[in-house]
Amino acid sequence: MSGSTRLENANPLIFERSLERVVTAEEEDESLADPIDDREIFDLIRSINDPEHPLSLEELNVVEQVRVRVNDPESAVSVEFTPTIPHCSMATLIGLSIKVKLLRSLPHRFKIDVHITPGTHASEEAVNKQLADKERVAAALENSQLLEVVNQCLSSRTA
Amino acid sequence: MASHFSGVLQLTDLDDFITPSQECVKPVKVEKKQGKSVAKIQIEDDGSYFQVKQDGKLQKLEKAKITLNDCLACSGCITSAESVLITQQSQDELYRVLRQNKENNSKQVVVVSVSPQSRASLAARFNLSSTDAGRRLTAFFKNLGVHHVFDTGFSRTFSLLESQREFVERFRRSEQDKKSLPMLASACPGWICYAEKTHGDFVLPYISTTRSPQQVMGSLVKTYFAEQQGLTPQQIYHVAVMPCYDKKLEASRPDFYITQSDTREVDCVITSGVSELERTQSACTGGSPDAAWSCLCDRRFSSVCGNELMRHEGSGSGGYLHHIYTYAAKQLFGIDAKDISYKTLKNKDFQEVTLEKDGAVLLRFAATYGFRNIQNLVQKLKRGKSPYHFVEVMACPSGCLNGGGQIRPLPDQSNKDLLQKVEELYRAERPLEPEDDEHVTGLYDTWLRSVGEDRARELLHTRYHAVEKADSGLTIKW
Amino acid sequence: MKDSLTALCKLSGHPDSRCWFVAWNPSGTLLASCGGDRAVRVWGREGDSWVCKSVLQDGHQRTVRKVTWSPCGNYLASASFDATACIWRKKDDDFECVTVLEGHENEVKCVAWAPSGSLLATCSRDKSVWVWEVDEEDEYECVSVVNAHTQDVKHVTWHPTQELLASASYDNTVRLYQEEDDDWVCKATLEGHTSTVWSLAFDASGQRLASCSDDRTVKIWRECLPGNEPGTDTVGSDLSWKCICTLSGFHSRTIYDVAWCRLTGALATACGDDGVRVFREDPTSDPMQPTFFLSVHMPKAHSQDVNCIAWNTKEAGLLASCSDDGEIIIWHYQSEA
Repeated sequence: MSGSTRLENANPLIFERSLERVVTAEEEDESLADPIDDREIFDLIRSINDPEHPLSLEELNVVEQVRVRVNDPESAVSVEFTPTIPHCSMATLIGLSIKVKLLRSLPHRFKIDVHITPGTHASEEAVNKQLADKERVAAALENSQLLEVVNQCLSSRTA
Repeated sequence: MASHFSGVLQLTDLDDFITPSQECVKPVKVEKKQGKSVAKIQIEDDGSYFQVKQDGKLQKLEKAKITLNDCLACSGCITSAESVLITQQSQDELYRVLRQNKENNSKQVVVVSVSPQSRASLAARFNLSSTDAGRRLTAFFKNLGVHHVFDTGFSRTFSLLESQREFVERFRRSEQDKKSLPMLASACPGWICYAEKTHGDFVLPYISTTRSPQQVMGSLVKTYFAEQQGLTPQQIYHVAVMPCYDKKLEASRPDFYITQSDTREVDCVITSGVSELERTQSACTGGSPDAAWSCLCDRRFSSVCGNELMRHEGSGSGGYLHHIYTYAAKQLFGIDAKDISYKTLKNKDFQEVTLEKDGAVLLRFAATYGFRNIQNLVQKLKRGKSPYHFVEVMACPSGCLNGGGQIRPLPDQSNKDLLQKVEELYRAERPLEPEDDEHVTGLYDTWLRSVGEDRARELLHTRYHAVEKADSGLTIKW
Repeated sequence: MKDSLTALCKLSGHPDSRCWFVAWNPSGTLLASCGGDRAVRVWGREGDSWVCKSVLQDGHQRTVRKVTWSPCGNYLASASFDATACIWRKKDDDFECVTVLEGHENEVKCVAWAPSGSLLATCSRDKSVWVWEVDEEDEYECVSVVNAHTQDVKHVTWHPTQELLASASYDNTVRLYQEEDDDWVCKATLEGHTSTVWSLAFDASGQRLASCSDDRTVKIWRECLPGNEPGTDTVGSDLSWKCICTLSGFHSRTIYDVAWCRLTGALATACGDDGVRVFREDPTSDPMQPTFFLSVHMPKAHSQDVNCIAWNTKEAGLLASCSDDGEIIIWHYQSEA
């Protein structure tokens, strides 16, 4: 599906963006320990661009805050994402982009699990297994062409 | 779904066994229609997609189709091509054409070209001689409504003659042209496909440009034979019976497509082991051959002598090494090299033949079969350590007699025993020297001379194309 | 006295990168490591500490995933995501790359020398396992390409004394291979894990094989000699191996590596939960149905996933581990037994 030749889901439903996060006084106080919460994780991934559409994962409802789970004391983050159609061939790429964004943004102590929302993709198990395989992820990120696509998904949109 | 392609092709498959509809990375062009801003698509329980129009009516959407040519041109998977092949190149297609012939007035002339290896495979299954298997196969096809049955042993004579001349010509210019030697055999489509996808521009110049027997037959049937019969190429439906699934890929190459008449030189390839052919069992094991069974095959394009089909000397993969070796020994060094001794190297599928004079090696040839040996050959080439002048390269271990399309062993039979039997039956036919086939010589003098040198070259040779690696990050499998 | 694991030394093995793998040389004097920085490092002991003796660079274009010593100790082989394996020859303290093994379609995940030193195995994401033969002139030829697995092959290892090869894969199985009629063929498929099998280790005798998996278990498999006990877990095979023990409930994430000490029989694991664990076999248990108990658990052994664990070949209790944090730790394990 290279370039503009074809969109798999040419007319997706578009969802509203959530409001910007309100920064509290405690959070601004550098002396207080500030555990990472669900909203912070959501803020990291909601603006990721869809590989095909000029829309963010939030606007496509691929990611939602209720599907983000953080356990700061246990250093665990789990994110579920929902492909727009059950045969979406971009699912692994979207998952990879979410994973890479979190790997780059969070302290290294975090274990990051990225899954497809159960029941929303034909190859759910296969995609989950691939995303959980850190060796495959590491090798993928050494592929400059793939990395370029991931970086495009992670770049801030200019429009 | 198990794959039938040769091991080489399976190895170049980076993907799992997939179906083109879901994981294929080949971009599909979609005609964009103007004026539709919103589309609603409904997915039925059977997986078909319907577009819901504004008036509420449903319109079934077509599935994106991927042709075999798309698969050949793609650097991605190759095994997924199989489900494409099943629709484009199966015995069902042959039966469809034959049925149409019976039902309609507009008839296509149906030509079937049978390979000597397929003959031997059927002979082994049904305890016949190779010639008898060919005879009964001919009767079987004629009974179905096929008009002509030919023998690709005949077109192989052309392949061997062309390969011999090409080799001597390449040997003579090897001083100036570093890529002229070693010459690598071109008859195996699995090897060609692997070379194009994996080693591209590095290895392709070494590959002989001579067409395989199947594709020489394609030239003969769709040009010479068509002209003789006063037919256009598309009025002929040409089927090849081959020991190998990869031959289907070969038939689908754009190089073997006649654009001006919108037809392929070989329309359909079916394999020796194809279940439908085994229905010939009844025909093959029937009583004594009566008149109907005794037609050998059409002598127009067959290697026959008296009442017998002929074979070529050398390996069961066409004998390229043998023929080029003896011809080159004579032409280049004036040596009659009748006794060829094969020296087995690392394993039985890597053999070497040398021509020596006064202790000096004049010619060093090899036969390398199977993926592991192809690997060592390619690596040697890359390191500049290949000592060979010619290599008979085949993708299948043990070569074409052991092709993926051959009839599988019976439950109580080992593959080794079956292969040995097939080899014996293949070798039991009498050998024919390519130069001695007057019919072929005649065609060189008349037909090929009449079309001019360039056209003759096109009809007997071909080209190879390096496959570009996928360039879009969106399509990379990781 | 309780069983214990003490860190002797922490090495910044592959700074700002991952350390994927460590391997002791046959005499136990050197430790090779490799990582995401595309380099192989060789460490040697100086007094109480371990120092980097040499850095092998420019052999690979991408991550070096595994590194291994030849049985004679004079060669190193490295497997890389760049689809090649390199053979390095030791020259005093230095190493030179003598051969690059090409042919795999994509990432080479592992490389292993047979006990004789004349055969080498590699495996790759291309689903194949290759066996190479080495001659006296350091020329390598491919003797077999086996496409038995249906997915990415993660690991290959040889039996300690015989020419028996084992591989582990993303297809959840372990496969065993032997030579037959001048080619290598899959002789057994060990099924039981429910996710990717990451690594394998034979015990000293070679009669038992440990496998570790993304399913968070370690399984111990035992060779069943013909005519022995019924009910094997291998299918369609000439060799029969049976799972005789499953260690489950001990690990909380993927187990990336397992190492079986050939000197003491202790079994160590490297886990994605940052922990290092050592198990011991209950000597009173039935060898056909052994029980293993957790001897030591070192949670947070590293600050990130532990990728590899390796027992020193000569000094009992000396253990090396490495992690995604780039660090290598040398441990001393002591048991009361």
